[in-house]
Amino acid sequence: MTAAIELTGITKRFPGVVANDNVNLTVQKGEIHAICGENGAGKSTLMKILYGMQPADEGTMAVNGKAVTFSSPTDAIDQGIGMVHQHFMLADNLTVLENIILGAEPTTGGVIRFKEAEDHLAEVAEDYGLAIDPDDLVETLEVGERQRVEIIKVLYRGADILILDEPTAVLVPQEVEALFDNMRELKAGGSTIIFIDHKLDEVLEIADSITVLRHGKTVATMPNEGVTAPDLAELMVGSELPTPDTTESTVTDEVALKVSGLAVADEDGREVIANIDLTVHKGEILGIAGVEGNGQGELVDAIVGTAQVTKGTIELHGHDITRLSVRKRREAGLAYVPEDRHHEGLLLEAPLWENAALGHQTQAPYGSRWFINRDGAKQQTEQIREEFDVRTPNINVSAHALSGGNQQKLLIGRELTSEPSMLVAAHPTRGIDVGAQAAVWDDIRTARSEGLATLLVSADLDELIGLSDTIVVMLRGRLVARLSPDEVTPRDLGAYMTGAATQDDGEAA
Amino acid sequence: MTTLRNLPAWARWPLYVLAGILLLTIVQSISDTGRLTAVSTSREMLRWAVPIFLAGLGGLFSERAGVVNIGLEGMLILGMWFGAWGSITYGPWAGLAIGMIGGGLGGLLHAVATVTFNVDHIISGVAINILAPALTRYLSDELWASPTTSPRTQSVGDWDVPFLAGGTIFGWESPDLLKSIGDREWWYLSDIAELARGLLRGTHWVAIIALLLVPFTSWLIWRTRFGLRLRIAGENPQAGEAQGVDIIRYKYIGVIISGILAGLGGAFISTELSGLFQGGNSAGRGFIGLAALIFGNWRPGGVLVGALLFGYVFGLDLKDLDGTASHALLLVNTVALAGVAAWALSRRRTTDAILATILGVGALAWWLSAETVPNWWSNILPYVLVLLVLVFFAQRLRMPAADGLPYRKGES
Repeated sequence: MTAAIELTGITKRFPGVVANDNVNLTVQKGEIHAICGENGAGKSTLMKILYGMQPADEGTMAVNGKAVTFSSPTDAIDQGIGMVHQHFMLADNLTVLENIILGAEPTTGGVIRFKEAEDHLAEVAEDYGLAIDPDDLVETLEVGERQRVEIIKVLYRGADILILDEPTAVLVPQEVEALFDNMRELKAGGSTIIFIDHKLDEVLEIADSITVLRHGKTVATMPNEGVTAPDLAELMVGSELPTPDTTESTVTDEVALKVSGLAVADEDGREVIANIDLTVHKGEILGIAGVEGNGQGELVDAIVGTAQVTKGTIELHGHDITRLSVRKRREAGLAYVPEDRHHEGLLLEAPLWENAALGHQTQAPYGSRWFINRDGAKQQTEQIREEFDVRTPNINVSAHALSGGNQQKLLIGRELTSEPSMLVAAHPTRGIDVGAQAAVWDDIRTARSEGLATLLVSADLDELIGLSDTIVVMLRGRLVARLSPDEVTPRDLGAYMTGAATQDDGEAA
Repeated sequence: MTTLRNLPAWARWPLYVLAGILLLTIVQSISDTGRLTAVSTSREMLRWAVPIFLAGLGGLFSERAGVVNIGLEGMLILGMWFGAWGSITYGPWAGLAIGMIGGGLGGLLHAVATVTFNVDHIISGVAINILAPALTRYLSDELWASPTTSPRTQSVGDWDVPFLAGGTIFGWESPDLLKSIGDREWWYLSDIAELARGLLRGTHWVAIIALLLVPFTSWLIWRTRFGLRLRIAGENPQAGEAQGVDIIRYKYIGVIISGILAGLGGAFISTELSGLFQGGNSAGRGFIGLAALIFGNWRPGGVLVGALLFGYVFGLDLKDLDGTASHALLLVNTVALAGVAAWALSRRRTTDAILATILGVGALAWWLSAETVPNWWSNILPYVLVLLVLVFFAQRLRMPAADGLPYRKGES
C-alpha cells in the first residue's frame, strides 16, 4: 500500500539555525499519526513545508506515491492536503459560511451562490458529524466551535489528509474529548490525520503511529503499541546535553518568595491555575516541571505582575506584592528572564545599551525618576558585555544584530547585575546554542551561591534536575508533586508531568 | 423601540428621517429662523455631502482591505485639479473621468507605499496630503499661469425631477408639486416638502451617481467574491492567504478604488460646484469623509448618513450669516444629547450618560442666554459633531480587524 505522505531527507535552514535536518516521515493512509517534540524541535516548520507555506532547502515529498513540489498552500490543497493551524485562521467579523467558502467560492459572474455553498457545507458537516450554524458570526463562537469551523473549512475543499497543528493546546479537557471523537470519525471516513502535540497522554490516547522530532531530526517512528509516556519524554528531551549539575547546597532558611493559595483566571473567567503554594528561599533554585501549557506561564506572569491574580497572595521578603505594579516589583528586587525574549525581553530595534536599561530605567546607574543617564547606562552595558561575555562589535548596535545566545546573555546580564534578590527565569536556555547554554547555567549557579533565590521554569528536564534544589510539578494548573532532584530521573519526572505517577498529598505539601 | 428595531432597514430609516425633520420643525417654530428646513439648506447639504460621501466611500474600500487612508484629502485635491483640467480640455464627462484617474493615481501611490513597501499608513497618507496641493499648485502655474486658479470649467449639469420638483419632459414643464406644498406653509408638511425639494431640484448628475453607489457597494461588498476577498484582506489577511487569496492584489484594488472615488469627489467640487479649480476649495472634505466613514461604521449606508449629517451642518452654516440658525441648532443638540443620555442610561453606561447630560445642559444654557452664536461656533460645529459622535459611539463601532496593520506575504 502506498503511503499517504512520504517525506525524505527534508532539510530547512533559517539564518543561524537548522530547523529541519534530514527529516524522514512516512504516514500511512487512514491512520492518525502523531508528531511529538519539544518547542523548537522543528514540528511546525516540517508541517509548513508539507503544506506549501515554506519551501524545503533539500529533500523530496510524495503524496499518495506521487512526487510533488509545493510553492503555495494552494498546491497542497490541490493534492488533498488541508491544515488546521494552531492559531485559528478565521476572521471574527465574517460568518461561518463566509470563512469556510473563502478562496473556493462558487460564483456566477463573480456573485457568490450562497445557497449552493450552504448546501454543500451542510453535506460535509453531516458526512463527518460536525454540527455548525453557517450564519453565526465567528466572533460569537467558543474555542471548540472555532476549531470545528477550521476542520470543516479543510473538509469543504475535499481534503483527505489533515494536518492538525497542536489542536489541543487551546482546548479544555471536555473539548479535547469532543475533538478526539471527531478525529476518530474522520479516520473512520477514510481520512488521514497528522497531528502535532507534545502532551504525551493525548498522543498515546489517539495516535496509531508516533514520530518524535528532537533538534530538527527524526529520532524515532513507531506504532503506538506498548509505548509509555516516559519513553516518549526521554526521546523528546534526549540526554546528550552538557550536564547542568549544581554543587553543594546553598539553600538558607530565609524566605525570599512566598506564594499562598494563588489563582489566576483567563479571559473567560476559568481558573487556569489554582491553589498554588510555594516558597523559595535565599540561595535556592526551585524548579517547576510540567508539560507546556499546564499553568507555568500564568504562574510566572502572576509573580512578575503581568497577570491579574484572582485569589491568594505573593510575598517578597515578607512584603505583600500581590497588587504592586511591575515596576515596583522590579524595584523591590525581582528580576525576570521571560520565556520569549523577542516578545517580552528585548526591543530588537533598539541599541544594546537601551535594552540593558529596560526595566531599570528609573534606577541608578541607568537613570533617575525622570531622566535616562546615557553615560551611566552605557558604562553599565559595557560591564555586562564584559562580565557575561556578550559577543558584539559594540553596545550601540541594535539587539537584532546579535545571535540568540548573545541576546540571552545580555538579557541575563541585565537582570543579574541589578543585584536582584529574586529571579524568575522561564526557559532561560531555550533556542540558544550549547556554549551559551553552559554560560547561562554558570551565571545562574554563581548568583545562587551569592544568595539569589530563583524560580526556574523549564521544559528541559536535564536542566531542571541539574540546576534545581527542589522540583515541583505542575499539571492542569495545580502543583501535583514535590521532588528532590537527587532522587529523580527524567523518566520519573515525565511520569509525574503527564499524571501517570502521583504523589499523595502529604508528600506534595 | 423594540418594534422599531424589528422593522426592515428600508422602513426604519425613513422613519428616523421624518422624526429628525419633526425635531427641526419644532425647534424652528420656537426660534427666529426659517433656515433649518429651507430649500436652500437641503440643497447646500447635498452639495456638501456628495464629495464627503465619495471620499468616505473611498475610505471604505481602502479600509475594508485593511489600509488606513488618511490620504483621501490629497486624492480629493488631485481629483479637483485633474477634473478641472480634463473638463477644460476634453469636456465635462471626460473631466470627471480624468479626475477619477488623477485620484486613482494618488491611490496607486498610497498602495505602492503601504502595501508593497509597508510604509506606515498614516505617514504615507500624510505625505500624499502634502504632496497633492503642492503638485496641483505647480501644475496650475505651468498650465494656467496662476498657482491657485484655473479658467472656467464645464459642468455635466443637473436635473430637476419632473412632477415633484418641476422638471421638464421633452420641453414640457411639469408641475412642481413640492413647491406648491412648501408654499402653503403647512406646519411640518411644508417643511418636509421644502427639504425634499432641495434634494430633487437642480440635482447634480454626480449626486445621483453617488446615491446609486450606496446599494451597488453594499451588493459588491457582501454578495460577490470580490467583496468577500476584499473584506478578508482587512479582517484577517493571513487567513485569506492560507486559503489561497492573493491579498496584495485585493489591497491594491481597494486602495486604488479609494483614490478613484475620492478623485470623483474632487472633480465634482471643481467642475460642478465651483466651476473652476481653486486651491483650498477642498475645505478638508477628504478628512470629513474619513469621519463619515467612522460614523457610518464602515458601511455604505452609514457613510451616506454621516455625509448628509455633516453636510447639513456645513450647508446650514454657509447660509447662516447672522448666526440665528446655528443658535437654533443648539436646541437640536440639546434634544439629541438628551436622547444620547437616555440611551446610555438604558445600557447602564453611567459615565456616558453623565457626560451627555452635562453637554446637553450646557447647550441648553447657551441657547437660553444668547440670541445668536458667534461665527466661530458655526465654523467648528461640524467638527464638534464628529468628536461627539466618536466619543459616544466609538464602542459600538466595528472597524476591520486588521485595518492599518502591516501585512507581509508568508508571515503569520
